[in-house]
Amino acid sequence: MPFASRRAFLCAAAAALALPAHAADGPAAQLIEKVAAEVIELIQTTQGAQREAGIRAVLERYFDLPYMGRAALATHWEATTPEQRGRFLKAAISAEARAYSERFGQYGGQTLAVTNVSNRPNGSSVVASKLNQSNGQPIAIQWEVRDSGQGLRITDVKIEGVSMVMTRRSDFNSYIQNNGGKVDALIGELEKRASR
Amino acid sequence: MVERFLNMLAGVRRPALAVAAAAAMLGGCAGRDTGAAEVWDPIEGANRFVFSINRAVDTVAIRPVAVLYRDWMPAPAQRGLHNALENLGEPVTAIAEVVQGDPGRAGTTLARFLVNSTIGVVGLFDVASAIGLSKTKEGFGNTVGYYAGVEPENGGFYIVLPVIGPSNARDGVGLAIDAAVDPFSIVAFSISRDAGWIYAGARFGATVLDTRSRTLYALDDLERNSVDYYAALKSAYTQQRAEIIRQKREKNGPRAELERRDKLALVR
Repeated sequence: MPFASRRAFLCAAAAALALPAHAADGPAAQLIEKVAAEVIELIQTTQGAQREAGIRAVLERYFDLPYMGRAALATHWEATTPEQRGRFLKAAISAEARAYSERFGQYGGQTLAVTNVSNRPNGSSVVASKLNQSNGQPIAIQWEVRDSGQGLRITDVKIEGVSMVMTRRSDFNSYIQNNGGKVDALIGELEKRASR
Repeated sequence: MVERFLNMLAGVRRPALAVAAAAAMLGGCAGRDTGAAEVWDPIEGANRFVFSINRAVDTVAIRPVAVLYRDWMPAPAQRGLHNALENLGEPVTAIAEVVQGDPGRAGTTLARFLVNSTIGVVGLFDVASAIGLSKTKEGFGNTVGYYAGVEPENGGFYIVLPVIGPSNARDGVGLAIDAAVDPFSIVAFSISRDAGWIYAGARFGATVLDTRSRTLYALDDLERNSVDYYAALKSAYTQQRAEIIRQKREKNGPRAELERRDKLALVR
């Protein structure tokens, strides 16, 4: 599927959003800068299981994981019991922590620069940033940030326009539908993966 | 199969008409006009079948070559091939930019093409960027999306094309028009049928190699971290294409777009 991402993930246009420019500071921008600094620190100083634990801690501290989990399960969320929700979130968080710690690999001198913050009428903010790489095009990353009671938390990450929550939602939804509409099938699969 | 598809594409010689037809066709899907909904995939069974064949072909033939190419071909050679392929795409970009109502930008693109084809040695070196002629990449998929009065997430029905992979009605039509208006292709086919197919085949093969080697990391990641790779790729493709088209539209009306986006809140 070569053209799969003909205008793809890493080579997409680096055109900045032509939005009215807000000062790239304020609490939302500071949150993203703090997270980026912590993650870069982790990548530089840790490996393997230690890194995975560190990434996990960052996810739990700065991301609104229950909110993201609910968004990813979409309509299936209502049909799940509290016990299932707990298992789902635990397994999904493990999977994301592992994915992120593997994804970063060796530190290649990347830096994250916040370029723009826009506030939405629904109370969330979108922090636009660029991940600058030593080789190759910068990667556009947008962070959706909102305060749902316990301070500002990240609720979604969009890489080159691809939302982590939306992609998981399609992925999970399709898996559930192909397995008799049972959320348990998805939870079982995620738990199996987490224990690998 | 691919050949028949390309033949069909070569039949399209009236871009403006085709754009209008495609826009009308997409407009017909306006009932599904919400980016928060699942991607419209009425032929999922057939798509999954083509997808599985593509994956098999990729595993045994395309991916291994792309890995070798990425790991063993010297970086300057990889960059050169990529630049040359991008340079071949500049005339189509310029034509699309004219159709999008931006002749100024089309002029810059044409200047890029002239500079890179000459000083840049048939496009191997991107001299134009160095002298301040910035790069754009356009095609008729974007152009149809730009004019179609629907959410950019709505590209009509989703389709997995042989070898090429994820696409939809909008982008499939776009690829067809891109192929039909490509001046190199027109010249090659006017020399002889064979010359045309040699040009088309060589460019397609090189593009497959270049693109696959550049998407190894992202696609491996998506495959490893999804429970249904087909669905995850469909979603990611749709979102990414939508983002590119949305950025084009936002240049004209940032406020309108922002307000509309809020209506598509991720969770109700």
